[in-house]
Formats: sequence, structure tokens, C-alpha cells
Amino acid sequence: MSISQIGVFVENQSGHVARVLDALYKAEVQVRGYCMSDTGDYGIVRFVVDDPEKAKAVLADMGCAVVTKDVLCLRLADTPGELARIMGVIAKLGINVEYSYSLVSTYIALSVKDLAAAEQALENESVELIDQAQLSALAKLDA
Amino acid sequence: MADMTVKGAALKAAAEGRFDELPIHNPSIECASRERIEAIQLARLIDQVEWTYNRVAWYRDKMDAMGVKPSDIKCLDDVRKLPFTDKSALRDTFPYGLFAEPLDQIVELHASSGTTGKPIVVGYDKGDMDLWADCIMRLVQMAGVVPSDRVQMAFGYGMFTGGFGLHYGLQRLGCMMIPAGSGNTERQIQMIQDYGTTVLVATPSYALHVCEVGEKMGYDWEKSTLRVGLFGGEPCTPALKAEIESRMHIVCTDNYGLTEVMGPGVSGECLASRDMQHIAEDHFLWEVVDPETGEPVPDGQMGELVLTPLGKHAIPVLRYRTHDLTRVIKDKCACGRTTARMQKVRARCDDMLIIRGTNVFPSQVEDVLSTIEGVTPHYRIVVDNETGLDRMVVHVELKPEAFSDSFEEMDNFRRKIEEKLKSVMLVASKVKLVEPGGIERSTGKTKHVEDLRK
Repeated sequence: MSISQIGVFVENQSGHVARVLDALYKAEVQVRGYCMSDTGDYGIVRFVVDDPEKAKAVLADMGCAVVTKDVLCLRLADTPGELARIMGVIAKLGINVEYSYSLVSTYIALSVKDLAAAEQALENESVELIDQAQLSALAKLDA
Repeated sequence: MADMTVKGAALKAAAEGRFDELPIHNPSIECASRERIEAIQLARLIDQVEWTYNRVAWYRDKMDAMGVKPSDIKCLDDVRKLPFTDKSALRDTFPYGLFAEPLDQIVELHASSGTTGKPIVVGYDKGDMDLWADCIMRLVQMAGVVPSDRVQMAFGYGMFTGGFGLHYGLQRLGCMMIPAGSGNTERQIQMIQDYGTTVLVATPSYALHVCEVGEKMGYDWEKSTLRVGLFGGEPCTPALKAEIESRMHIVCTDNYGLTEVMGPGVSGECLASRDMQHIAEDHFLWEVVDPETGEPVPDGQMGELVLTPLGKHAIPVLRYRTHDLTRVIKDKCACGRTTARMQKVRARCDDMLIIRGTNVFPSQVEDVLSTIEGVTPHYRIVVDNETGLDRMVVHVELKPEAFSDSFEEMDNFRRKIEEKLKSVMLVASKVKLVEPGGIERSTGKTKHVEDLRK
């Protein structure tokens, strides 16, 4: 169970990310989470959206360098210590989290090398694993 | 007479107009009348053309095709009857096709990087080495260098003409050579201190770097034994020179030359006319031509410098197209010399860049990119010298399929391109990845280079 994340190559220049977001908005793709950091001249902006296929097609049409990647999506209970507990589960297995970021509400996206192993470990824990269909439905529920 | 070994004496003498106190290596040539200079040039040109025609098939074929014989050279203007030589002639005949002598007469080889991987190679016989040393001895004395000087060579040695060319000439003058080679800046400063170096040979941008590193180390340039900077390898702006002179408390001059006609020493800067360099006219016949038509420009006007070495025997190139833009004036200089002076070269009529003393052609970047999967052939080179040293950034356009979600992979990809570029250009650059289509396309002649150097 995983979701599809969109990674976009952007240059570190004003307007580059806005242009990407405008295109997603015009295509009626809703962004549920994103991750950006200061990596220098260029970076990879990652998005979790309700319709990754459409998002990828729209951005590729614009000429963007774009890739999709499967990542885990978890819904955490909104109580103190939950994030620490989940990261602890993964750490105990010796699985390294490459990066992680939070989406709307208490949803988080996690990127790991061995997705299946992490998923298996988390299935036995009290945490809700989310798939793409659920995530896409989430957008509609909010509306 | 002022003692030239005293720090600041040469600049002071120049500022006060006491040029007769500065050394002139060979006054019988350097201060000769125009008639005498031209008589020497004509006699040597006639010999040179005969030597070349009789010994180099490439020139003989060209001249025969043009219907020109050595005996047609009767006055200096007759040089225009001769064929031009371009860099491609040296490349196409690599390695020895233009040599006029058997290799057992050759005592040294040098080379310069070519545009497409294949270098050009030049040779020197014993007489050529003497001629070269003579040129160097002239120009270093223009800066007040004397035989008792201790000279630290911070040029790389190797096949590049700058290192050994200056080395031999300075040694011939009697200087003590300290062959430090390039790089390792803190050690350079330590050597200046330990050996009492009085003259530093470097590119101007490296000299500034040495200056800054020394300042950070707490080295007192004002109290240093260092007195003279001899620059070359890249153009030096008056502002950069003035800055180095005031911060390092030295006098700096630069010189002009190119491997194809000899190496450093074709012309040199005296302290009386710092933007105009004295040409060693008895060793080089100069012309200034319109780069488009090849026809001479009016006296004193800007054009492309064309050089014919006189008396150089191993590779006797005729009318070499330097692609450097300059103008030449013939009036007597305040320093006492009468040799013609060429304005410092700041522009070329092709797109060659000089980065930290190394010749770089945009076509090299293009060649490298064409071998790398995942990038488009579009690129842009941005050069600046904000930090004092030349910095080259190559903007490279990523293909969508080469994009990976991992920043680490992208960075490795970027570094791989940097390494490939360095292996061909022999100078480090920074690669900046830009998004597909991120490099502006133009319909006309693409502007690949943005040179922001001041």
C-alpha cells in the first residue's frame, strides 16, 4: 500500500515553483502535501496530489522534468509522541528514511529504499496506512 | 642611477620620468631607428621565406598554388603575397608536418590544447631557444628585473610554453630560478619568505589569490622581499594590475605571446606606456588586418594581429592569424625604445576564452556534452571573477528522462559532467543543471558565452 509522489526538477529562481503550481491548479489537480528545501542552484520539489497520473502528464506537457515515485503514506493519531513512535518502529528495523514530510492534517509521506519491508513493519502497528485511492477521496471529503 | 633592486625603485623612477635609469636589454635593436628596424626585418623575412619554402612542403604547395616564389619578396609589403597560416594548419599537420628541420636538430617541444582534443605541437632548435630567451630578457628588464633577482615561477611547467619559456630567458639573464610550479598557495608564500623571492611569475588572477592568501596568513607584503610580478597567460586589466601593485607593494607587467609563433615574449609592457606593449620587431614581423577580408587596416587602427616569426627555424610559420584584436603604433616611447607597440589584447575575433591562463573554446563544452546521455546540446558559459580568480559556470540543460527523484543522484550526475569537462578543458568549471528548455534558444548566432569579468 503506497501512494504516488510527483518529483519535479526546478531551478532555484523566483517563479519556477509558482509556474508548476499554476499548471496543476488549471488542470484541477489538488495538492495534498509538498516538500521543498534549499539545495542550491536547483532542487527537487515533491508533491502529493489527488491525481498523480494527470499531474505528471500536465507537467511533462509543459516540458518539465518530472518523475513519479512510490512512497508510504501514514495517517497518525493527533497525539504527542506519535511521530516519534512511528519513526522508532522503522529505525528498529534498520530501515533508513530518505526523507519525509507532512501532508494535510496528520498525514505524512515517507520515502524509504525498501518500501515493502517498511510497509510490513507498519502494518502491525497502530497506525493507518493510506493508499492513493484513499488519499484522492480525502480531497473530495474536504470539499 | 637608482638601484633597481630596491623595492619600489622602478615604479618611482617611472613616475618621475627617469626612464634612462631602467635597464634596456638590447638598445641597438630596441632603440634603433625605424629604417634600421625595417632593414633588419626585410633581410630576415627574405631568409625566412626561402627557408620555409625550401623545407616545408605544406608552404611550398601553398605558395606554388598561389604562384609566389621566395624571390618575389623584395620589400616588407610583399609579405602580403604570402599565404596566411591558421591554427588548423598546425592541427592538420600534427605532430611534425610543419617542421622545417629533422628532429635531431630539435631541442624542445611544447604544445597547446586544441579545440577538439588534438593539441598543436611546436618545436624549437638551439637557435630558436636563443631567440626566445632574447625576447624574454627584453621584457623582464622592462619591469626592472636584474640578474641578481630570485624568481619564483608559479606557472605550471609541462607542455605549456609559459613556464619553461620564461624560465630559460630569466635564467639566461642570470636570475636564480625557483621552479615552484603552480598551486599550493600557502607553500608559495612560505617559499617567498624562506628563499627571499624577489620576482613572482604568475597569471594575474593567481597573483591576486597569492596576495589574498598571504594577507589572511598575516604575511606583510610591504616588508616582503617580493618586488616584481611578471604576468602572463591571460589578459590583465589595468584595474587588476593596480590593485595587485598596491596590495602586494610590487611592480607588475605583463607580456603577450602565443605558442604557435613561439610562446611568451612576442611583446612586453614597459613602465612608460603600460597599455601598449613593445613588439620584438626584429624577431616578429607584424601586420594588422581586417579579420573579415584579411586586408591591412590603416596605420594605428584596430584589427587582427598577424605575426610572421623572423629567424625561427624549427617551425617557421608565415603570417599566423592570431585572432587577437589590437592596434599598433610606431612612434618612439618615453622609455626610450623605438620598437612598435601593440595595444594589450582584450578581445578576440573568435570565441576563445582564457580561464585562469588556460585557453578554453566553447566548442570543447559542446563536444563533451554530446558524449553525455541525459543532457541536451544547449549550454551557456558564464565567467566572472568576483572573487579575484576566474570562475566558469557551465549551464547544462537536463533532459526529462535523466531526471531522478534523488538529489544525491542528480548531484553525482552534475559532478560527472564537471569531471568530463575538466578532463577536456584542463580547467575546472562548475556545472549548473537547468530545466529542460531553460537555456534560451536564438534563431541567429547563439550567444554561448557571458563574460562578466571586470
